[in-house]
Amino acid sequence: MRLKLSILLAKLAGSLSKNVLRKSGETIPGRVLLALYPKAISELSKSRKIICVSGTNGKTSTTKALVTIISKLGTVTTSPSGSNLDRGVATALMQKSEYAVLEVDELHLSRVITEAKPVAVLLLNLTRDQLHRMHEVKRVADRWAVSAKGAPETLFIGDADDPFVELALASAAQSHRVSFGGRKHLDGAVCPSCGIYLKWNRNDYKCACGLTNLNADALFDSGSAAYRNATLANVTGQLLGGKVIAIDEQSLERSVNREYNGVKANLRLTKNPASWTEALTSVTGNDVVLIVNSREVDGIDTSWLWDISFAVLSGKNIVVCGERGLDIAYRLHVEGIEVEVTNNFESAISKFAKGSHVHVLAAYTAFHELVRA
Amino acid sequence: MSQIRIVRIHNELLGTYGDQGNAEVLAFRAKFHGITTTIIDVGYNDPLPTNGDIYLLGGAEDAAQLLSLEALQRDDNLNILHFAIERGAVILAVCAGFQIIGNKFWANGQEVDGLGLLDVISVPGDKRLVGDIKTISTVLGFELTGFENHMGRTILGSSAEAFGKVVTGNGNGDGKFDGAVLGNIFGTYMHGPILARNPEFADLLLTRATGRKYAQITDPLALKYASWRRKVIK
Repeated sequence: MRLKLSILLAKLAGSLSKNVLRKSGETIPGRVLLALYPKAISELSKSRKIICVSGTNGKTSTTKALVTIISKLGTVTTSPSGSNLDRGVATALMQKSEYAVLEVDELHLSRVITEAKPVAVLLLNLTRDQLHRMHEVKRVADRWAVSAKGAPETLFIGDADDPFVELALASAAQSHRVSFGGRKHLDGAVCPSCGIYLKWNRNDYKCACGLTNLNADALFDSGSAAYRNATLANVTGQLLGGKVIAIDEQSLERSVNREYNGVKANLRLTKNPASWTEALTSVTGNDVVLIVNSREVDGIDTSWLWDISFAVLSGKNIVVCGERGLDIAYRLHVEGIEVEVTNNFESAISKFAKGSHVHVLAAYTAFHELVRA
Repeated sequence: MSQIRIVRIHNELLGTYGDQGNAEVLAFRAKFHGITTTIIDVGYNDPLPTNGDIYLLGGAEDAAQLLSLEALQRDDNLNILHFAIERGAVILAVCAGFQIIGNKFWANGQEVDGLGLLDVISVPGDKRLVGDIKTISTVLGFELTGFENHMGRTILGSSAEAFGKVVTGNGNGDGKFDGAVLGNIFGTYMHGPILARNPEFADLLLTRATGRKYAQITDPLALKYASWRRKVIK
């Protein structure tokens, strides 16, 4: 009875926030629910099949793809887009359904696994991101591994080519290890399992302690991050009894097309070394806007810009903006690439002629502001 | 000397916090001074080059830090560093790298002996120190900015001098000083990378490495970036 009342109050708070305060109202219900009824996530998970999606990059879009697949098996609720902390999970679970597909933040995954007891957890990748909050990749990987070990009823599906994902898969009682033929990892010099220098043979690793991406349960061709995430969504769907669907990989790139006074802009989310490196390969045209911010979700430090090679931008027309526009301007300057620095996006995009196609690579907060506008 | 060799030690291990950019900034500033540079990346299994002019170490996670230490204690590497110091070569070590070149530090819950190049010891603190940092450098006499993200508390011995007096942030942990310096050996907790945010410090290292004084560089963007960071970190 108290749970039902808490849900009612939480929904009321959400609608007040939306209609009176004009906020998005996405996380308020979950926040209120958890305050009124701390065990809400475990209670509301009991009557349905929970599937979690976590990883550094691609959580939101992969969750959406998986929702499409699972919705053919039964009714599905999902987290509000990008709202992946425990309150987003609680918000999603307030709706009745047979399945829930939840996007979960890397550091919140342990709590959600303990409370929601998911049937399946899909782990996409684990790379450097928001080091002021995550501290180190290994720290997050260790938490995943402990959670995986403590959840023998849960099937863990993941990309074994990422040694930090593989650490969790190897710790799980039930796992489905997917490989795309191996891939280098920026933090792959040390074995996350035993701490010795990790032995790589081209794109494959094999440690003396046994950690390896070889002998995977499923082997696919190599490809873009979007392709890998689409494949992982389909593999997960299949293991749960779903049918493979055709997934538009572009929809998994977190990219959106917009027009600003006749200038066509392709907006793309770039938030850490891995997503920048992936996004830079898509820059085919000559006109580019780069936006760098440093709010909490962007990462409050910008040192990681020096992890990325921007060589592909050489010779292009580049305008930068954002709170940390100067950081990227100087980083590119040292790489021999000169840019124009502007105060905001409006003035950055206005530098381009009508009819031009501009690639906009935007920090997390900048991307969301532009998409919402 | 119109050519210098910049040795980036174990970037595959000590590259977690962007400090690899220090080598690029040194090479970039050197070009203005008419100095040609070679950046030599030394891997975990490689011997250290004996003729480096500037040796760089960066920040890392514990396991990577221990592997780097082990490799630097292996074969003739430590002797090569001692000879380099005698020759007047420069060492810039950041965060985990700073701890490695000290007398003792903690990693993965155990105390280990460092390389002993700087008279400091580091111990773990009770909370992680994360945020913008600003110091007044004892060596340069002006403000430096950067970003710190570490658990370490570093205590200076009698033969090491603090590298900077903390204005904002924590530095060595007491909120008073950051880093340590002895001759041409510099240790600091400042990421950023430190030479990108403080290009005059890069110039000083080039002067120390070559023994020559250079004319001031005109690079408006570098100046704008450095002075903006000094202004916004209160």
